[in-house]
Amino acid sequence: MAAGRIKKTAITFSLIVGVLVWFAALMLFSPLAQNSEDFSRALPWILLINLVGIALLLLLIIVSVVRLIRDYRRHVPGSRLKARMMMLLVALAVTPLLIVYAFAVQFINRGIDSWFDVDVAQGLGYALELSRTALSLQMREHVGDVLNMAQQLASSNRTDIVGELGDLRRESEAVELTIFAANNQILATSSENPELTVPQPPSDEVIFQLRQRDLSVSLEPQMEEGFVSLEPQAEGGYVSLEPQLEGGYEILAAATLSPELPRAERPILQARFEVGQRISVLANLVEASYDEYTELSYLREALKTNFTVMLTIVLLITLLAAVYGAFFSARRLVVPIQQLMAGTRAVARGDFDTRLPIPARDEIGFLINSFNDMTQRLARARKQARLSQQQIEDERRKVEVILARLSAGVVSLETDLRIRTANRSAGTILGVDLEAHLGESLVQLAETNPLLSQFLSVSRSYLDRGDYEWREQIVLRDKGGRRVLMCTCTALSGEHEDPEGYIIVFDDITALLQAQRDAAWGEVARRLAHEIKNPLTPIQLSAERLRRRYLGAHYADSDLLDRATHTIIQQVEAMKEMVNAFSDYARAPDMDLSRFDLNRLIGEVAELYRHREQPLSLQLELDSKLPDVEADEGRMRQVFNNLIGNALEAMEHQTDGEISISTRHIFKEGVELVEIKVADNGPGFLDDVVDQAFEPYVTTKVKGTGLGLAIVKKLIEEHGGQISARNSTRGGAEIAILLPVMREAGDVILSATHRRDIRRERA
Amino acid sequence: MGNKLTAASCRRFELRVLQAIAVAIAVFSVQPLAHGQQDPGRFEIRSASVDLRSGVYYLDAWVEYRLSSETRGALEAGVALTLQTEVEFLRNRRFWFDDEEASLRQSYELQYHALSERYLVVNLNSGEQNSYATLFSALNFLGRITELPLIDAALLDSDAAYDIRIRAVLSTDDIPGPLWLLAFWRRDWSLKSEWYRWPLGE
Repeated sequence: MAAGRIKKTAITFSLIVGVLVWFAALMLFSPLAQNSEDFSRALPWILLINLVGIALLLLLIIVSVVRLIRDYRRHVPGSRLKARMMMLLVALAVTPLLIVYAFAVQFINRGIDSWFDVDVAQGLGYALELSRTALSLQMREHVGDVLNMAQQLASSNRTDIVGELGDLRRESEAVELTIFAANNQILATSSENPELTVPQPPSDEVIFQLRQRDLSVSLEPQMEEGFVSLEPQAEGGYVSLEPQLEGGYEILAAATLSPELPRAERPILQARFEVGQRISVLANLVEASYDEYTELSYLREALKTNFTVMLTIVLLITLLAAVYGAFFSARRLVVPIQQLMAGTRAVARGDFDTRLPIPARDEIGFLINSFNDMTQRLARARKQARLSQQQIEDERRKVEVILARLSAGVVSLETDLRIRTANRSAGTILGVDLEAHLGESLVQLAETNPLLSQFLSVSRSYLDRGDYEWREQIVLRDKGGRRVLMCTCTALSGEHEDPEGYIIVFDDITALLQAQRDAAWGEVARRLAHEIKNPLTPIQLSAERLRRRYLGAHYADSDLLDRATHTIIQQVEAMKEMVNAFSDYARAPDMDLSRFDLNRLIGEVAELYRHREQPLSLQLELDSKLPDVEADEGRMRQVFNNLIGNALEAMEHQTDGEISISTRHIFKEGVELVEIKVADNGPGFLDDVVDQAFEPYVTTKVKGTGLGLAIVKKLIEEHGGQISARNSTRGGAEIAILLPVMREAGDVILSATHRRDIRRERA
Repeated sequence: MGNKLTAASCRRFELRVLQAIAVAIAVFSVQPLAHGQQDPGRFEIRSASVDLRSGVYYLDAWVEYRLSSETRGALEAGVALTLQTEVEFLRNRRFWFDDEEASLRQSYELQYHALSERYLVVNLNSGEQNSYATLFSALNFLGRITELPLIDAALLDSDAAYDIRIRAVLSTDDIPGPLWLLAFWRRDWSLKSEWYRWPLGE
């Protein structure tokens, strides 16, 4: 991260430095561009280097453009913004550049053109012409001199040609006077400084003009192209102006001699004259100025081209640099926005751990900072939410566990009475597996379940009234007997006053009530036994004494006495019996446990009842594989006596009385049990007492104390067994006993199958 | 020369911009612009021979110089042109490039003298100056190389085989700066003859 930033900074820095150096170089060169040869010499190389730079920039730009187009087509985030910024920046940079360029080029061209004035050119031309005119006068003079000299030589008959030449030379002020033969041999010469120079033979030009052409040219200056031509040819003569290396001028004039010879063989007289120094200098100056001017004038086109090229190159480089700069800055501007977009998308996807690098301390940097802050807060909030959710989940699980273990039934309902939740106990108590019907309507479920429908009708009577907070003891009835439930309903608070649902908590308190009743009866029995039994004996003894003393004495009323005392004694006896029975019920003597064959015991008891006056069919269905049970044999005998007696009493007026006793060896929840069923075909229990059959003084019979079944139940429970009563489907009552084979196992079955009973024991 | 901004001058300006861009392109692609029916000019060695006289090799040659319109225009505007004759002695070597044993460069400056309307030829090696009334005669003079001493025969290895080659070149080293860019990419400023090569001693 830091390395990348350093690298980026280095690149930017070097770019800026490079551009500055390049500009400095251009600026350094620009003053040289005015005149300097060096600059012009360097120009091609400068151009080449710049062209390389242009090519590089072009390459970079093309790469950038291609990348931008690709991004644009792929809808890469930020590419549109980048393209728009690019175009804007390029337009902003390019337009002024092009305008400046156009003006600059025009100014250069017109500026350079304006340096070359028509008047100056003409003036220089006239000056040149003036010089020529001045010179041509001299030339004409000198060519005339030479022609005259040629005539003098021709007419002269002096033998001393050299001497005559010397005379002529001095006369005409020539520097050198030479006669050349046709083969360019020097025939005679005279020179001002003969030791310094050797006479030069006439050039081809001179020979050509003098010998091979018919000359008929006037000495008047010729007008050629507006200027005076310097070809003042004389008839038969030649003259030319020879610029000298030293800067002076020399006039060369020549003529042929011996006109009698053929033209090609005539000797040539050649004379050199010096031009006056003043005229030479002036002519040179004029010449130099003219020369310089025409050269510059000629070069201006090239100069313009050079400047234009230079300008174009600078423009191109600047333009391309601007375009690339636009790309660069657009990218720099867009990158944080792209990052921001990517970050936003990540957050939208739910990734709150996105942290964006902060590009700079500007507005975008501020934006990104805020974004980072936001994502951080979001991440924290989400973490918090998860934690809370976890906690809630934990709580819920705990509550679920508690509910599942709870012996009370808990059902939560929607307002339309659909089951939201229900624990197992609720199902057990109501006899329906509510957990399997979550989400279903309780009303529908109640249609097939009588217990549930009774429960529901009570609940609805409250809920329909709008009473959501209530507590009620409900008695449910079904074939298995009576169940008393303690119900508490609470509304689940909703957003408004309307409840969101209800929670009904109910507890099966049947056994609790039973236990309370049993305990109460036990107490009553004990009190009766104690309080009533004591006065009975004196009553009985008193009655007997009365009888003994007064019955023999023949009173008139002895008959009455007899009957009265007899009644007293008889009733006291009955009362005693009753009190003893109560005493038996209340008393709990120590158990005398032993292992014995239950079938044998049942057989013995049944045998006692076989031979009675009452017609009776006694049927035994005994399991031959029944193991010996561990129990108090005396008590068990009482149990069967009571049960059979009970049945007999119930069938007192029947002639087809039938009692069946069956035993069965079963296993229930891992516990070895003996099931004993005693059934008769009597009238059975009344429906409203079937679940109270084992309570004292609940009886449908005329006779009896009403304690028979209560005692049976007590005895069986003392053995850890269970007893239940119902009306059999064939008619008549059916008592079922479950007796553990081992006494200790009784506790296990109690705790495993009927927790309600445990509570009763504790109570 | 009025400074009126006429349509023609605008067109000229546009042309100049285009030309400038073309210059930039042409520098890369050395392809010169077409120049109408102008004379492209031509330098050619017509004949050349070497004589060995009293231990020195002398060159006789005839070079045809024809200036291009562009260079003639520059000459008449007062630009001095430098014409060079290059002579090289090459030692023939088998299986390897030939070795340049000795070389000689004869340079002439050709200039138009406006006042006298004459063409001046200055031998830059000797400093000798001649003037001619016409360009033709000046170039003719330049093209006639007679008895130019080249090298002492003793300096050459007598056992080795040598080739001599000559060519004529318009040197652009001394032309005025502004023309340099033109000379850099325009063919009518790069005038030179083919090498004329023959074995020594035949």
